[in-house]
This record gives sequence, structure tokens and C-alpha cells, in this order.
Amino acid sequence: MREPIGLYIHIPFCTAKCGYCDFNSYAGHEHMIPEYGDVLLREASLWRAAARGRRIDPVFFGGGTPSLNPPEEMRKILEGLRATFDVAPDAEVALEANPGSITTEYLRALRDAGFNRISIGVQSFDDEELVALDRIHSGDDAREAFAAAREAGFDNVNLDLIYGLPEQPLEAWKRNLEEALRLGPEHLSMYALTIEDGTALARDVARGRVTPPDPDAQADHYEWTCERMAGAGREHYEISNWARPGHRCRHNLVYWQNREYLGLGAGAHSYFDGVRFSNVLLPNRYVELVGESLAEGGERRSMRHVVAGETVTPETAMADTMILGLRLLDGVSLAAFRARHGRAVDDVYGAVLDEFVANGIIERTATHVRLTPRGLLLSNEVFARLLPEPVV
Amino acid sequence: MEPSRIRNFCIIAHIDHGKSTLADRFLEQTGTIARRDMAEQVLDAMDLEREKGVTIKAKAVRMAFTAGDGVEYELNLIDTPGHVDFGYEVSRALAACEGAVLVVDAAQGIQAQTLANVYLAVDANLQIIPVINKIDLPSAEPERVAQELVDTLGFSHDEILFASAKEGMGTHEILEAVVLRVPPPAAAEGRPMRALIFDSKYDAYKGVIAYVRVVDGPVSTRRRMQLMATGLAVEPLEVGVFRPSLEPVPELATGEVGYVATGLKNVKDCRVGDTIPDAARPAAEPLPGYRPAKPMVFAGLYPQQANEYALLRDALDKLQLSDASLVYEPESSVALGFGFRCGFLGLLHMEIVQERLEREYSIALLATAPSVEYQVTKTNGAEAVIDNPAELPPPQEIEEIREPWMDISIICPDRYIGAVMELVTGNRGEFKRMEYLQHGVIQEDGTKKGEGRVLLEYRVPLSEILVDFYDQLKSRTQGYASLDYSFHAYRPASLVKLDILVNGAPVDALSLITHRENAAQQGRQLVEKLRSLIPRQMFDVPIQAAIGGRIVARETIRAMRKNVLAKCYGGDITRKRKLLEKQAEGKKRMKRVGNVEIPQEAFMAVLRLDK
Repeated sequence: MREPIGLYIHIPFCTAKCGYCDFNSYAGHEHMIPEYGDVLLREASLWRAAARGRRIDPVFFGGGTPSLNPPEEMRKILEGLRATFDVAPDAEVALEANPGSITTEYLRALRDAGFNRISIGVQSFDDEELVALDRIHSGDDAREAFAAAREAGFDNVNLDLIYGLPEQPLEAWKRNLEEALRLGPEHLSMYALTIEDGTALARDVARGRVTPPDPDAQADHYEWTCERMAGAGREHYEISNWARPGHRCRHNLVYWQNREYLGLGAGAHSYFDGVRFSNVLLPNRYVELVGESLAEGGERRSMRHVVAGETVTPETAMADTMILGLRLLDGVSLAAFRARHGRAVDDVYGAVLDEFVANGIIERTATHVRLTPRGLLLSNEVFARLLPEPVV
Repeated sequence: MEPSRIRNFCIIAHIDHGKSTLADRFLEQTGTIARRDMAEQVLDAMDLEREKGVTIKAKAVRMAFTAGDGVEYELNLIDTPGHVDFGYEVSRALAACEGAVLVVDAAQGIQAQTLANVYLAVDANLQIIPVINKIDLPSAEPERVAQELVDTLGFSHDEILFASAKEGMGTHEILEAVVLRVPPPAAAEGRPMRALIFDSKYDAYKGVIAYVRVVDGPVSTRRRMQLMATGLAVEPLEVGVFRPSLEPVPELATGEVGYVATGLKNVKDCRVGDTIPDAARPAAEPLPGYRPAKPMVFAGLYPQQANEYALLRDALDKLQLSDASLVYEPESSVALGFGFRCGFLGLLHMEIVQERLEREYSIALLATAPSVEYQVTKTNGAEAVIDNPAELPPPQEIEEIREPWMDISIICPDRYIGAVMELVTGNRGEFKRMEYLQHGVIQEDGTKKGEGRVLLEYRVPLSEILVDFYDQLKSRTQGYASLDYSFHAYRPASLVKLDILVNGAPVDALSLITHRENAAQQGRQLVEKLRSLIPRQMFDVPIQAAIGGRIVARETIRAMRKNVLAKCYGGDITRKRKLLEKQAEGKKRMKRVGNVEIPQEAFMAVLRLDK
């Protein structure tokens, strides 16, 4: 039996697009929801043969806003996936949800359908900050959403928070995190606000309407967060993720451990059978092209909806293992690296790693190589040096 | 063609007075280029020339013109560069002519380079035809400008022509004047062949193409020739004329302007200014009239990628083919590795060379701050010439340092005299003299009508006007001042070397030679600038300025604290890698000195110091 793969389902619909968001999501396309679910399952059927013999765990519904889907739609998709693939009986089945739309009743229906983890996009409990982020919900909505999740029986809940907003004082961030800790979720993902190219926020910054976030302030927020979370007994297991013991996010671990996953839906990314590829971005094109793929007979080489691909070379695979694995606080296992790539970490990266060890960015243990606490915030400096040499 | 029916002339003008547009009209009117084939400013063929609105290279074109007497004449127009940096190119073009059309803007009047060009033309014994151009402009004051030409340059009212090259007004009259006033080339029978090289360019198929003025002809492919300076034999592949593209002809007669395709592969063998005699019957005397180009500004050019050194060397070799005033020799820097010390005519010239290397040869360059050439007398009596601050001997070995001074002339409206005076004296300038080119008129009620225009002459150290001076002059006079300069002399000066230490180690490419009084203050400014230009590294980086081992300023670049991708981008690992690749690319564009990454701008920081 080959190792299990992750399954990612992309739901690209949102009620409104947030200023900082650069994900493949669209406002005002909700009318497509019923048809989209059917097409997802059609796409799943195209992969059925290829995925035969591979256990699926976890299943993750991301977006967009998956919680815009009515419960029967979510149930239909999940059941369809179980019918198509070999989803592990105890698989983590998770979805992302936004406060403001989710009720206890809705979440109970999802729980019944088999969802066992929910990630709530809280971002902030401060209403002014939420407005600045273009979020369409309030802090109270977030508190209610969390209560609803508990009431519906979700015992594995994540909250997403964003720190280091423009001109946000440390105190304001502290209030947000304290509030989150009071609620007591099993998992917290906390991201520094990043100005992504092409977003409304990037345009505001370029026009001088918004002060760009101060990286030093973000570093202060982050360092305080690390201390506070350690005090609260949470495991800091990845640069931006903390969990109660036993509640690490299986979906994210698939990425960080450089394992394979299949992504379904508009713009979804996959790493499958050694190839990284992605689907066409626009939902309506996706619907059309999945239709064409089916008409072609579902051969792997005629997946019309797959529009970009990269065969991962051995060099790139090694770099990926390092670049992704070093994000985990455990770091990269020397033994696992050798088992997977047939070479020793130091054989490939020894010189570069030594340089960063000297700078106090990287440290070695008997079994692992990993980022130091200071290195967590400077990880790109390391990663940029681990990339394979471009082939000219 | 009979020498009596040949006229060789050039157009001289201050920048933007309409020289290239006038040349375009000539081409059109003589049918050399059909109107529909005209691109704006045909003779400014280089992209850079069109972009900057500046003629960089001298160029030539032959036109057939039927004058009022019904006779067809052969007119050879040699276009000249308009920027003061290229005075040498102007002098070469002038030496190939008998006449010059002097173009003066009807609104701006005489400007600094108008004067400089007239002096060159007079030196070259040219017949000058004064033309007041742009008379169609609403702000044109042709009568005032004509009076200025009469008062300042001694022309008579009758000889001044009025034109608008843009509208095609008066241009035919100019061509008539060229035929009537410019003397035909002197012809003497039986003298051995001689031709003057006034420009050259490199052609991949024909080798070095020499632009020549035939002084004693004829020149044809049947003759073996020789280059006087290098003694090299040349068997020309082709001779021809400019129409304006190259067009072969059987021979070039006495007085004609054309080209000789030499087949030579090495530019250095074909020197602009050299004389080509007949190999079998060499002329005794080389032709006079050329001033060798003297580079005034020096800077190190380094490839950003060390492996492009050979590429840069080849590119400089090729560039020198078409730009005889560019000089260079290999040098190495502790900080920057292997590169070339290059000499330029001025800052614009430096900028153009840099851009051409980057555009035409796709080499990413790193340039050090420009420097002038210093003369040093050592305590042991030895003399040295220093154009790279890093090479200045230690203070205890220096008896005396001398720096180049320039004569500069500035023409501006008289209301700016104070502002110009302040600028020049603030740059260690010495006042020489002032002359009113034109006075304002005091009216009966005591108010002044019209404005006076003055010519101000100073002496200034070249190092002070190298950078930013011209921009400052323009901004303090709201664009009204014009500037011309020429070398005066070397003078002793109280100069010291300012060293910059990055992370404790001196960076040779950041050193500069400066006046002792300003040194400490410049050091403070420079480390401050560098602090903002050098990105944060993974550790604290001290930046220090030192004079003779004594630290005079210090700043610290605080260690970078955060450079991290927050998210996993929905499993889009390819994108994550791309973002990292972009970062890695950015680092490649910086120069790693010790363990500190320094961007190109930092090496130019010295240019941004205030006085």
C-alpha cells in the first residue's frame, strides 16, 4: 500500500472579496453553487482510476468560503468523494468557514455529514480592524460562530488570526490573541499580514492610502505570540501554527512534509505521482473544461481543465523537502531525507547550512536540521539559498 | 563631381535649438529622402539619441540641390552632436567642412554652447551662416536675437537668415546661402591622395567603416591605402556616399565626403582623426585640425556577474569603434572583482556608454562613482596620476595633490545672477568676469522692460561640477541658464581620501577623494545614505567613514528581523518557490562584499551628497 494522499476541495465563492486576499475566490458567483458541486464530483471521477490503491486522509474544503454551500450540497459532495475514493474511515475531514453565516443548525448538519474539523476565519475580534481588512463580519459574529461550532459538536476547531496590521499596536494584537485563548480552540493559525501583489490592499499601499505593515512590529508581535502560546501549553509546530497536543492540522502537514495531494475545483493545486499541476482558475471555464475532459474519455493525458504543470526533478524534490520541512519546528529528519532522496542532507546542502548555523539561523541536532527560534522569522533567507540552480 | 560644385557644411547649435529638425527639412527639400519615408530626426538613428533628444554621433549625408543659378550642387551635410560632453565630436566634424550653419533659437537667443560652437567654427576657418530658427513660436523674438548676434558675435544684419525648420519656412534660403557663401573645397592638381577620417563605425560584414573627407583625391577601391598613425595597409572593400544609408560609388573625388569600408577588424587600428594616404605614394604631411579627445571623468565599470567580464571587454571594444573618445583599461577591486576603469568626456557621456552597454549588449553593470584625474607628487619626488580614489597613496607619502580646474561660462537672464553666483562660489568657484549680452530697458516711469542677459565666467574645480551641478544650475534659474565648460589647468588642492568601512572592512569602491574641509561632513552624510541604501542583513552591519584611519562617522544597519512567507498558498508550492526565486534574483543583483550584500545604488551614493 502506498502512502495516503491528501484531498483538497476548492470552493471559489465568497460573498465579498477581502482587500488582502489573493486566493482564487470570486464574489457574486453564488448562483453557480449547485452546478459546481456536481462538476467537482465529475472531476473526482476523472481521477478515480489514477488514485486507485491510495488511501485518502485528510479531506479539506478550502476557499473561498466553503460554508456558503448549503449543508445538503456539502453532504452530497462529501458522500460523492467517499464513493469515488478510498477515504480513510478515521480521516480528518475539515472545512473553512467564515463567521456571520454559520449557525449551530448548519454546523450540526455538517457534523452529521461527517465533517470533524472546522477552521474559522476570525482574523480579528476588533470591529475596526475587521473593517480595515474588508471582512464582512464582526467580532461578535466570530464569538458566536465559535460557540455554534462547539454546540454542534466540533471538538477540533481552528481559528485563523492575522497580526501585524498597518499601525496595529502590540497591545491590540495581544487583546485579539487573549480573546482567542479564552475561547480555547484546539488549533490556532496566526499569519502576519502580507501585502500580496495584485490585491486591493497592495494598490492602497502603492497609492499611499494605507501604511504598509512594519516588519519590525510584526516581528515583535510574533515573538510575543511565541512566548504567550508556550505559556498557554500550545505546541508551536509550524512557523504560523500552534495546536494542543494531538491536534496538529493533518491537511497542512501534507504540504509541510512534502507529501502528495490531489486538488479538485477551480484553481486547485495538486502534487500527484511526482507532478505538480493546477486547474484552470475561472469557475465557469473550469465547469466547461471538466466537461471537455470527460468527453475526451477521462484519460490522464487529456485533462483539459488542468492548465499548468511541473514535473518535479530530483533536485527540486530535495529542495521542496527542505523548504517545506524546515517550516516545521521539528525540522527535517536526516534519516527521512536520506530514505526519500537517497542522499544525505549535508551532502547536498552542507555548505549553505553551515553558513546559517554560523549566523544562528539554523541548528543541527543528532537527528534533524531545523530553524532556530530567530531563524523562524528569517526562513526565506535560508530557503532562497536552497533552491535548485535554474537550468538555463 | 567638380570641386566647384561641392559644398561641405555642418550645422552647429545649442542643444534643442532645432538642429536635427533643420537637417530633416534639408533631406526632404533636396529629395534625398521622400517625405513619406521620413522618420522624425532621421539622422538621430540611435534609440538613445531620439529618447534623449541629443545627437551623440556625428553623421553625414550627401544631398543634390539645384540652386537658383540652375546648377546642381552636391551638398554634404555633417551633423554634429549638441551636448557639451561631445565637443570633440564637433571639432572632428568641423574639420571636414568649409562652412557651418549656426542655428539659434528665436526665443532663447544665444546660449553657452552657441558661443562655444562658434569659437570652434572660427578656429576651423569655417564660413558661418547665422540662422534664427523657430520664428513661428509665440515667444519668438527674432529681432532681439538678431541684435544679440550682431552685438555679441559681430555678424551683420544682412547675413542673418530667419527660419522655422518645423514649418519648413526659410529652409530653402538657407541651402541657397550654403551654395553662395560656403567656399567650395580647395582643389590642387597632382597632389598625393589624402583623406581625413572624421568618424567611424563597425559593420559586421565590411569591418571598420571610416567616414572620410577627401582632401586630395580620388579615393577608390583600386588603390591600396595606408593609415598614417598606425602604418597599416588597407585594401578598401568599398567606397561610397551617405544617402543617408551607405551607397557604394566607384570613387570619391577631391572635396567629397563619403566612406571607406576598410575591412579592418580592430577598431583601434582605424583612429578617428587619422589621415589615409595612398600606400604607393604616401603624402608627407598628415592633415591637421584634430584635437585628441581627453577624458575628464573616470569610473569603474564592473559586470554584476563575474562571468560576464569577457563579454564586457568585447562590448567595450565594439563600442570604442563608434566612440573614439571612450577609453578603458582593466582594473580590479577588492570589493567588485574584475572590471574596467573607463574614461569619459563627461557625465552624459558616461551615462550613455553605460546605457548602451546594458541595452545593446545586455550586460548588467555596476558603476562606481565618477572621479576626476588627480596629479600627485610624492614625498620621494615621484609623480603619479590618480583617477581612482582607492589608489591614492597614504597621506604621509603625499607632497602635493593637484586637481583639474575648468573654465565655465554660464548665460542666463540677469535676475539669476545672485543665484548662479551663490551656486558657483558654494562649489569653490572663482569669479572671472561678467558681460551683458543684452540690457533691459529702463522706461520713463523707472520700471524695467525686457530683461537683461548676462554671460558669467568662472573657474571651478571639475570635481565640484561633475555631479549635480548642471541640474542645480537649471533648477536655480528655472531652466534659463546654459552652461559650457573647458579645461583650464591643474591646481594644488587640500584633498584627503575618505574611506568607507562596511562591517569593519574598507570597501575600496566606496572611497572618494574630497576637500579636507568638507570631508568629515561628507563622511557623515555618506554613511547616513548608505544606511538607507544597503538592505538589512541577518546581523548588525556598522558603516563607518574614516579619514587616514580616524573614524569620523558611524551608523549601524540593524539586523533584519523578518523575512518569512506566512502562508502555504493553498498548496501552490511552485508559486512559493517562484517567490523565493525572486528573492534569490534580487540578491544576485547585489554585490557581496565580505558577507554583506550591497546594491548598485550604494556605489553611487556619493553622487547624492549635498554640499
